[in-house]
Amino acid sequence: MPEEYTSLVAALKALTQGEAPNTVTLPMCENEWDTRPDADSWGTVALEFEADALHGDNLKQAEAYEGSVDLFSYKKDGDGWPALIRKALTDNCEGCWSLNSFQRERENNVFHWEWIFQVEG
Amino acid sequence: MPYNISTEGMEELEQMLRQAGDAAQGAASAGLYEGAKVIADAVSGAVRGIATSPFKYAKGGKRQPSPEEKAILEAAPKGVAKFKKSGGSVDTSVGFSQSGYARITWNHARSGMRTKYKMGYGGRATASTSTEGKSTGISAKPIPVIANAINSGTSFMEKQPFFRKAVSQNRGKAQKAIEDKLLKMIEASMNKKNGGT
Repeated sequence: MPEEYTSLVAALKALTQGEAPNTVTLPMCENEWDTRPDADSWGTVALEFEADALHGDNLKQAEAYEGSVDLFSYKKDGDGWPALIRKALTDNCEGCWSLNSFQRERENNVFHWEWIFQVEG
Repeated sequence: MPYNISTEGMEELEQMLRQAGDAAQGAASAGLYEGAKVIADAVSGAVRGIATSPFKYAKGGKRQPSPEEKAILEAAPKGVAKFKKSGGSVDTSVGFSQSGYARITWNHARSGMRTKYKMGYGGRATASTSTEGKSTGISAKPIPVIANAINSGTSFMEKQPFFRKAVSQNRGKAQKAIEDKLLKMIEASMNKKNGGT
C-alpha cells in the first residue's frame, strides 16, 4: 500500500469534518500541472456544495455535503489507486458514494475516474 | 386466544383502490413530468452560473469553459426524454443526451477568427471543415461531451459540477412535486368516478 494512501484518508477525513466546501490536491503529484509529465497519476478530493439530503438516509432528515474524488492517470489500471480510493470512501463515507464516470480523454490519452461521495453536514 | 377482527366498508375501499389503479398509470406519468420539470429548470439556472474565461490553451493550469461553450449549453434543449414504461414503473431522464451537436471554432484565439457555432447539427459528428485543404478549425462537437467536460472536469478543464449540484439540491423539491401531482390526479379521478364533488 503506497504511503500516499495515508494522505488520501487524511484528506477525506479533513473534508468530512469540515463545514464548508474545500479542495485538497492529493500528493500523488505535488504540483498538478508542472510535474504532470513526470507523474503517471494525480488527483484531487473536493467537498463541493451543500446537497439536499443524504442519499443513504431514507427518512431524508440528514443534511449532506457532496464532493468528488478525481483520479487522472496515464495507466488504465490507475497505478492501483482506484481500489485504494474505493476503500477510503467505504471507510469514511458510510456507503454514500459511487463511481460517477470512467473515461479516456482522447486529447491527451489520460484516463479519468470520478467518484461522488456524500457526508453528513 | 384467538382474536376476531371485523371491519366494515372494506368492499368500498377495495373498489376505490381498484378505481385509483386505473387512474394511476396516467397520474404516474403526469407526476413524473412535474418532477422532471423541476430538475430541468434547475439545470437551466445552473448553466447560467457557469464561470467562463476567454479560450486559451491550457499551459500551466486548467482552463475554464469559454463563453462560447457556455452559450452552447444555455441554448441547448435540456429536454425531458420520452417516457419509458417498464412493468409498473415509468422512467425518464433530463439532460443533454438528445441535444445533438454544436458547430464550434476552437482555434479563434490563435487565428483571430470569431467563434461560430450552430445548434442541432444534423445529429451527426463531422470532421473539421476545410477550405482548399486548409482546416478552418470549425468542428462539430457533441453537446453532451461539452456538458460532461464542464460538469466532471478534465485534465485540462476546471470542474464545475453544475448539473450534479442542480440535481442534488433539488431532489427533494422534485419528489414533492411528483407527490403533489400524483395525489391531485388520483383525488380528481376518484371524485369523478364517485359522482364528483
